[in-house]
Amino acid sequence: MKIKRILIANRGEIAVRIMKTARMMNIETVAVKTAVEPNAMYLSSADVIYDNTEDVSEIPVFLDIEKLIAIALKTKANAVHPGYGFLAENAYFAQKCIDNKIIFIGPSPDAIYKMGNKTIARKIALAGGIPMAMGSEGNIANEEEAVIIAEKIGYPVIIKAASGGGGRGMRIVRKSEEMEKMFIIASKEAEKAFNDPSVFVEKYIENPKHIEFQILGDTKGNIIHLGERECSIQRKHQKLLEEAPSSALDEKLREKMGKMAVQIAKAVDYHSAGTVEFLLDSDKNFYFMEMNTRIQVEHPVTEIITGIDLIEQQIRIANDKELKFRQEDIKLKGWAIECRINAEDVQAGFAPDPGKIESLNMPSDPCVRVDTGVQAGSSIVASYDSMIAKLIVKGKDRKEAIKNCKMALDKVWIKGTKTTLPFFRMLVRHQKFQDGSFTTAFIEKDLEKYYFNSEYEEMLAAWLATKLFVKENLNDDSINIDFKHGKDMSPWLLNKRINQF
Amino acid sequence: MANDKLQIKKLYVLSSENRKFSFSLPLKQTIRIGKRDYEVKLKADEKYGTYILWKNRKYPVEIVSSRQNRYEILFNDISYTFTVETPFSLQRMKVLNSKRGKVEKEYIKAPMPGKIIDVLVREGSNVLQGEPVVILSAMKMQNEILSSVNGVIVKVSARANTNVMKDDLLIEIKVG
Repeated sequence: MKIKRILIANRGEIAVRIMKTARMMNIETVAVKTAVEPNAMYLSSADVIYDNTEDVSEIPVFLDIEKLIAIALKTKANAVHPGYGFLAENAYFAQKCIDNKIIFIGPSPDAIYKMGNKTIARKIALAGGIPMAMGSEGNIANEEEAVIIAEKIGYPVIIKAASGGGGRGMRIVRKSEEMEKMFIIASKEAEKAFNDPSVFVEKYIENPKHIEFQILGDTKGNIIHLGERECSIQRKHQKLLEEAPSSALDEKLREKMGKMAVQIAKAVDYHSAGTVEFLLDSDKNFYFMEMNTRIQVEHPVTEIITGIDLIEQQIRIANDKELKFRQEDIKLKGWAIECRINAEDVQAGFAPDPGKIESLNMPSDPCVRVDTGVQAGSSIVASYDSMIAKLIVKGKDRKEAIKNCKMALDKVWIKGTKTTLPFFRMLVRHQKFQDGSFTTAFIEKDLEKYYFNSEYEEMLAAWLATKLFVKENLNDDSINIDFKHGKDMSPWLLNKRINQF
Repeated sequence: MANDKLQIKKLYVLSSENRKFSFSLPLKQTIRIGKRDYEVKLKADEKYGTYILWKNRKYPVEIVSSRQNRYEILFNDISYTFTVETPFSLQRMKVLNSKRGKVEKEYIKAPMPGKIIDVLVREGSNVLQGEPVVILSAMKMQNEILSSVNGVIVKVSARANTNVMKDDLLIEIKVG
């Protein structure tokens, strides 16, 4: 069976991204129209739109396995692409697709299950001799057990959700007195987020770099890596900026870590695209963290430095095609940086700022790629994530990529909601970012100010406020106010009241 | 007393971070930096909306709110809150400020709309600055709402598993 029509079980920029490659491969796509976003941009890229706007269930359709299978069957889609998030790492969904003779564009349910369960994944890595941060052998039952393990491996430790990901259900504990509270929070959070309260404990590595390897494997047993990405710029375990390659790796370390990443993937007979995440400490020791069995948000930086379309590879592999290249064919060329432009208020601690995008102007330049699912008039709705666009910039080396990124950031105009743009404008000017010495603790520890404004910007804003004040309250630029009748009244209020008569 | 009329020659702009700017009236279309005057223009067009043109660069601007003399301006994606004061109102404000006592209660409000996942404190319990008091889930993120002060919880309005709007009162703390 060959893929002819793909149901995109997702929305936003990743839906647009998948459809773009599908069109290039002459494959039709089906998009699901929801009541929350009936005018979303991704719908305009699809060949077939399934109208699900009548569905008012509280669970988004993209999380509803039975419904998605029914939609695929109804629209005669013979494949499903899950994108990222939602059901992308749900083994049951992958199995359900297979049961209904629908091709799941992703790894096998078995690989998703094994890597999705952190406790099993750790056991697999341990058996393969992959370096790991020491920790509990399996899940821990209660805070007393956690304290015993923590004293053995030494504080600080991190409590992690067994079925977790994306930073939820994670708590750092620095001393035994904190354990009870943190254990309860982590376990509760894990249950709410993943429907599984089980947690485990491991050594917490202070100030590491986040390095991950892109893996590609076919169904014939060929597994290669496409180099690394560095995603150390993160806040509460949410990535904000990613780059490829990483300035922390040399060719030797890249080869060593890449080999380990491939070895982990081989242990679960992995096929499709996947990512093996490591922490790298200041002495260049690395530790296996987890494997993500899906396409990642930050996949474009790898595409840029390798010239390989990862969505195309996923589709080819799902069609049982053999990989066209071997490890020695993979050459990393240039440097790529991705900024996640989210509807968040940087000045209010990155609080989500949903709203309607009034206007959106992105730079068009050969060194810039923009992946987005919104256009002017679109809304960033509170029920989904806050992403507006991914600004992906390349250069021949890191220095040039940063320079181009700085230029591109000034050309992005988004009106209607506050965005993370001021954060990136600050970041690209920061010494520690420029010299590459930043770690995952960068935002928490090295920053006093989360945004950039040049010397005169506040003064210009003050000038504008004055201009408005003059216009609203003082009919003339030179004003006379009679204070006889309103001693306790502010002049503008007085003026307003007089004008109302 | 023949002439009670006073002429305003200057306006003062105070930022929420206590920075002060002043502009002479009538308001000029130029701003002096060092010895040079630079032209500043407020413009609007279809593609970019409202913007300020300054030293050959366009900066997006928006007026988020204006209430009496209080303005929130979004300038190049950063918001600034100002109050515009006349020389008289500035003088009066100084007098009022010197009379005002210290803030005794701190109100922790929801920084964004979302769902309360957990309330970590009880009425009567002590909190330290920086300690999480509420866990709020919004847009797929769990956010710890931290206490901004040391004090005693006097009222807990937040309830687990309920939805809140931005600026809803969550916790009341007696400072000290």
